[in-house]
Amino acid sequence: MRVFVTGIGAVSAMGAGVEALRRGLWEGRAGFCELTVFDPARHRTKLAGEVEKWCLAPFSRRLSRSDRFACAVAAEAVARAAFDPPPETAVFFGSSTGGMLESERFFNNLRSGRRASLGSVASQENHGPGDAVARRLRTRGPVETIASACSASAMALAAALDCLRSGEAEVAIAGGADALCQLTYAGFNALRAVDEAPCRPFRADRAGLSIGEGAAALVLETEDHLRARGLLRADRRVELAGAGATCDAHHMTAPDPDGTGAAAAIERALADAGIGPDEIDFVNAHGTGTPLNDAAEAAALRRVFGARAAQLPVTSTKGAVGHLLGACGALEAVVTVLCLEAESVHPTPGGGRPDPALGLDVVLGAPRPVPGHRCALSTNFAFGGANAALVFRRHA
Amino acid sequence: MSVVVTGLGTIGPWGTGADALAVALRDGRPCARGVDRAAGYHRRGSARASALVPPEALAAAVPPALGRRMSPCSKLAVGATRLALRDAGLPDRPAEGVTAVALATNFGPSSCTEELLRQILDEGPEAASPFAFTECVANAPAGQIAIFTGARGPNATVMQREAGALLAVARGAAEIRAGRADRALVGSVDEVTPLTHAILDRFRALSRSDVARPFDRRRDGFLVSEGAAVLVLEREEDARARGARVRARIGPLARAFDAGAPPHGWGTGSDALAGALRERVGPAPLDRVVSGASGARAGDRLQARVLRAAFPDLAPVLAPKGVTGEFGGGFLAAAVLAAEGAPFGPTAGFAEPDPGLGLVPHDGRPLPPPGRVLVSALASGGAAAWLVLERP
Repeated sequence: MRVFVTGIGAVSAMGAGVEALRRGLWEGRAGFCELTVFDPARHRTKLAGEVEKWCLAPFSRRLSRSDRFACAVAAEAVARAAFDPPPETAVFFGSSTGGMLESERFFNNLRSGRRASLGSVASQENHGPGDAVARRLRTRGPVETIASACSASAMALAAALDCLRSGEAEVAIAGGADALCQLTYAGFNALRAVDEAPCRPFRADRAGLSIGEGAAALVLETEDHLRARGLLRADRRVELAGAGATCDAHHMTAPDPDGTGAAAAIERALADAGIGPDEIDFVNAHGTGTPLNDAAEAAALRRVFGARAAQLPVTSTKGAVGHLLGACGALEAVVTVLCLEAESVHPTPGGGRPDPALGLDVVLGAPRPVPGHRCALSTNFAFGGANAALVFRRHA
Repeated sequence: MSVVVTGLGTIGPWGTGADALAVALRDGRPCARGVDRAAGYHRRGSARASALVPPEALAAAVPPALGRRMSPCSKLAVGATRLALRDAGLPDRPAEGVTAVALATNFGPSSCTEELLRQILDEGPEAASPFAFTECVANAPAGQIAIFTGARGPNATVMQREAGALLAVARGAAEIRAGRADRALVGSVDEVTPLTHAILDRFRALSRSDVARPFDRRRDGFLVSEGAAVLVLEREEDARARGARVRARIGPLARAFDAGAPPHGWGTGSDALAGALRERVGPAPLDRVVSGASGARAGDRLQARVLRAAFPDLAPVLAPKGVTGEFGGGFLAAAVLAAEGAPFGPTAGFAEPDPGLGLVPHDGRPLPPPGRVLVSALASGGAAAWLVLERP
């Protein structure tokens, strides 16, 4: 049973909505500024891909920032799918810190003897965003939250694909949401993994990642459900064709430098989609901008694509909006769909020349037209060595 | 394809190993002890009890050299994994085949999170410890299991409150059925800190009389527990071929959501949940129900309503959370033991039936050997999962 993407939604440093994201990415902009969600004064770095305040306005302040992101992107994705999701719709979400921002405020108040309002810690756990979406859409199908750090929402999409293929549900909303918080910001800085300047994925002088926030959601529908809606024949539909996941079992934070586990995840995704590596036309890379991650990812791509890796257009959305952690897989899936629809790959912002040691064809400066391109790969790699890869295919 | 449980490892307030839990369940003996309230997070009149892992059991969970880079949560997860592999007759690092990991947690490595927050808020962000950060992520225990066992298959961490453990089991079984893994290490882990205990108490989730009373008229909340349970899953043919003891077979899974549930509680609408349960679990008779009733007022009411609506002729209902407490894997381990036909004593904490529920849990009488056991988990916030465990 084939599964198609029929709606997408996004909130990011580029603003609210897929259109704002698309415009920013294809103009080659980067959305980093000094963060305001908390005081960055004593943090080692000051920049983040922060979502502007107005983007959250329509949603209840009783929801955490992450939950509001999630509700916003789910609403957009459903609106773009142009239907009322059936009650049996499944919801699969990924998040790495849920309502941690609000929990930090609660904890600070609790420890300093101030009034600590329970409302602020009400959706601390990582299942907050997925539950909030299901509650808002009043669905009664499966709801499951994957909390595998930076691979969480790619794995949520893979879980949704399984669910739809098995016939358990016909429609799923899959996505991810994460908000900025001091824990993550200080934590990545403690690892010296954050660039003081905007991140420069795949560049020779890259010096770390930039932290972002936001959410993305995709409406996924089975072929049968689309046919029943009379929409299967619509042109240019993008299929979520395959997924693969593996684990490095190597180190808690450092990727396996050989990229073996990452390559195995990509190979599994290709096999699941029933295509060979030659059919992939471009890659939306995990591309964090840390020296180790980009090198390991390039090694994985060379391992899978061989000599072709040097001609395969590769882009990093994180160069534009930062690392959305538990939400990055879903956001990059949305961007991959946009690339396939536009037959164009957005450039990776950030100055400097590409790292020749990586042996990749990184899209820089301006969008790269890829007319006729059909299949794309999106990759994510996480703490704990959890790797995930997704294959998308556009139908003519 | 048939997927079976060949190993069960657990560490918890009941002690180390599935046999220790089996004894506690047979005797109907709760595992509560007093929580440390010295940090000052607790209010006057708050709950005092929690089901905590004895310090010596935590220390013994993994060798010291291995444990020095692990949170208590990771130690419990890896410790339970070692026990599960041993129980399955497998080495710590199985040489052949691909191993998937699917682990549920509710709080994650919360002592590391708390330590990191304290560093950031008290001393400043520059004091943040890289160790506390890398170990505080929710998927650190699953990552540590993978590193310890060399598990290179899909590695997932599930967070869906009380439903997480069953979802993790189902996720692992699905990886095997789809041919993406040859075996899976699945389960649930949690550590309880004074802070999480105090926050749960502020939400009025915990029993302030310090006793979990599943389905009882006087129930006033649950007992929060720490610990871990890990199961080894593999194809039945593989297990038979290597002569492994098969503890249970993984049956159908049902999942649903109750959109009427408040974010921190349970709803009252049982019909849709009962419908999903009936549809997926099928008409074959059940011999036992292992209910996730924990002593929560609304949670137990919904458990009773859904079960009664789905099955007019309800099998005996076991409610092991009177012994194990909530979270920490005890419920999952108890469910496997129930599917094997382990004797369960009178439901711990239960004394007075609640006339509003129309359900009286198991009274300790001997039950015939089970064939098909339904495990029922309704999460606060609305998610629901049910899993059938079959006797092989």
